Amino acid sequence: MSHSPRARSLLSTLLACATLALATPTATAFDEAAAKALAKQNDCFKCHAVDKTKKGPSYQKIAAKYKGKPDGEEKAIKNITMGQKVKLEDGTEEDHKIIDTKDPKELKNLVQWILAQ
Amino acid sequence: MKKTALFLSLAALGLGSAFAADPAKINWAKVPVTQVPLFYPGQSTYEWLRSDEHKNAAKEVKRGDACTACHDEESAEKDIGNKIVKGGRLEPTPIPGKSGYKDLKVQAAYDDSNAYLRFQWKTDNPYPGTEHQYLRFDGKEWKVWGFPKLDKPVQQGKEPGIYEDRLSVMLDDGKVPGFNKQGCWLTCHDGQRDNPKQFTKEEVAANPLLTSIKKSDVRKYLPETRTDPSNWKTGKTVEEIAKLKADGHFLDLIQWRAHRSHAVGMADDGYVLEFRLSDSGRDMFSGNSDNATHAPKFMWDEKKVGYKSITALQLHKGDHFLIREQNAVPFDPNAGWKEGDMIPDYLISREDAMGSAADNKAIASWKEGMWTVVIIRPLGLTNDDDKALKPGAVYNVGFAVHDDNITTRGHQVSFEKTLGLGVTKGTKVDINAVKLP
Ligand code: HEC
Ligand code: HEC
Repeated sequence: MSHSPRARSLLSTLLACATLALATPTATAFDEAAAKALAKQNDCFKCHAVDKTKKGPSYQKIAAKYKGKPDGEEKAIKNITMGQKVKLEDGTEEDHKIIDTKDPKELKNLVQWILAQ
Repeated sequence: MKKTALFLSLAALGLGSAFAADPAKINWAKVPVTQVPLFYPGQSTYEWLRSDEHKNAAKEVKRGDACTACHDEESAEKDIGNKIVKGGRLEPTPIPGKSGYKDLKVQAAYDDSNAYLRFQWKTDNPYPGTEHQYLRFDGKEWKVWGFPKLDKPVQQGKEPGIYEDRLSVMLDDGKVPGFNKQGCWLTCHDGQRDNPKQFTKEEVAANPLLTSIKKSDVRKYLPETRTDPSNWKTGKTVEEIAKLKADGHFLDLIQWRAHRSHAVGMADDGYVLEFRLSDSGRDMFSGNSDNATHAPKFMWDEKKVGYKSITALQLHKGDHFLIREQNAVPFDPNAGWKEGDMIPDYLISREDAMGSAADNKAIASWKEGMWTVVIIRPLGLTNDDDKALKPGAVYNVGFAVHDDNITTRGHQVSFEKTLGLGVTKGTKVDINAVKLP
């Protein structure tokens, strides 16, 4: 099968759109590098690893907890922006770390990455 | 003396044993390399780590959690070091251009007589840090010249930064509570030289423990030696501390010094308990300044090396070691000294070093920006100030490099690591010494 010049240019436009869609965070796509950089800068990895329990639960465990729950994203964002009390394994409580950004796009991107682990 | 790289015969190193390998001939290419990340810790003392400044971590550190329970993320060491070294809450006097991080390559081997620990790291400077402080004639008097870079005179630009490079190993055989989790940080406290709330002379004089061991400053100590571990001014009795030592509650501290031990193919041997102490016997270096006149006690032997002293123009041109049995003669006050004449502030001697303080030998060279140091330590030492190394055993260790003319906390350090001597498969250690054929 051979494409006409017009069809070929249409195809490349479509491809360009698709790439763009992947690069910008949408409901399903996030920027992993940006999420990790933000988490690192905020010391999140000192308490959370992707796949093992540290002082806080693993991101996999957090993701499992919110799997299929529509309000997961919102709850997780609250957790990292409001300084809510969190319970530690030894039964004591402490205020959760407040992230140093208020940018909703950055927050959403980070939380989407966490919930995809 | 000629440029670095000391070639010493086995006999000169005092390693005559029939079963000992020739350390210069070990095939290191066959020994596995462990990369140990070292980072600049600034003033992250025992006390800071247990304060609210160490956010959401004080409680865990107090109860004894390992540093790496939290600080194990990718490039943790690099991130911490590079941040602290630039200055801020943990570094009030940043050193321009200092690196916050170093890769230390570690290899280990042993035979029937000795353990061989090999280290490699890159220096910040394009020359080896083999110079140490000098006594300089100012036209009237001899005064110490050149200081470590964290000292005020250097920070104010009044003195050049001169201090030997160092590689230190702190070693525990499992008897020092908490060292397996928190490593060297057990010994680093507020009140010490260059740390927050640095001691005053009066405070030291008022401390019965330090006066009873005749010390005039505060150095590394283990928490167990104080009634309040976070307050150096408290102290247990000399008898209680003797008991801790007898029970093995001390750390071995081996320091390879690029001037004061390297010059004679050795590494010094000390330990940390209520202070950073030298092992019994005699070190390979001693002060060269006369207590009363401050003039040098020894100078170079002109007949052997062609000069009695050097000037600043000769710095970093060749090795400037003053070695009692090789190139030193008693100081002559009437030798026509001129302003700017310099003689090393320390006299070094392999022959005078004795006893437990003289256990560790070393072979080192600096090439293309990199130190390679092999420390040779006899197995099974029985002195009461040594940790005996034994085949099959596992030790907790911490490493530090002092680079670019600096002392005290101006080092790059490692989190706690484990060192095994030929441990069986299945025993997990960071560094496993291989048995030499
Ligand atoms: C000092 C340790 C610590 C730090 C730093 C930390 N967390 Fe947490 N985090 C916890 C603990 C403990 C919990 C557990 C809460 C619980 O199970 O109740 C938690 C829970 C969470 C949760 C799950 C909340 C829920 O609803 O279950 C998320 C999401 C989270 N953290 C994200 C982050 C992010 C993002 C950062 C960095 C900005 C961060 N955390 C930094 C300790 C920490
Ligand atoms: C319970 C987890 C935890 C433990 C255990 C822990 N830390 Fe921390 N540490 C953190 C967190 C979280 C931060 C970042 C917050 C802060 O800077 O106060 C931090 C910060 C630091 C910093 C400052 C880094 C900077 O960028 O300024 C140093 C140095 C440090 N820790 C060293 C240690 C050492 C040494 C130990 C072991 C004695 C240790 N930590 C044990 C969680 C921990």
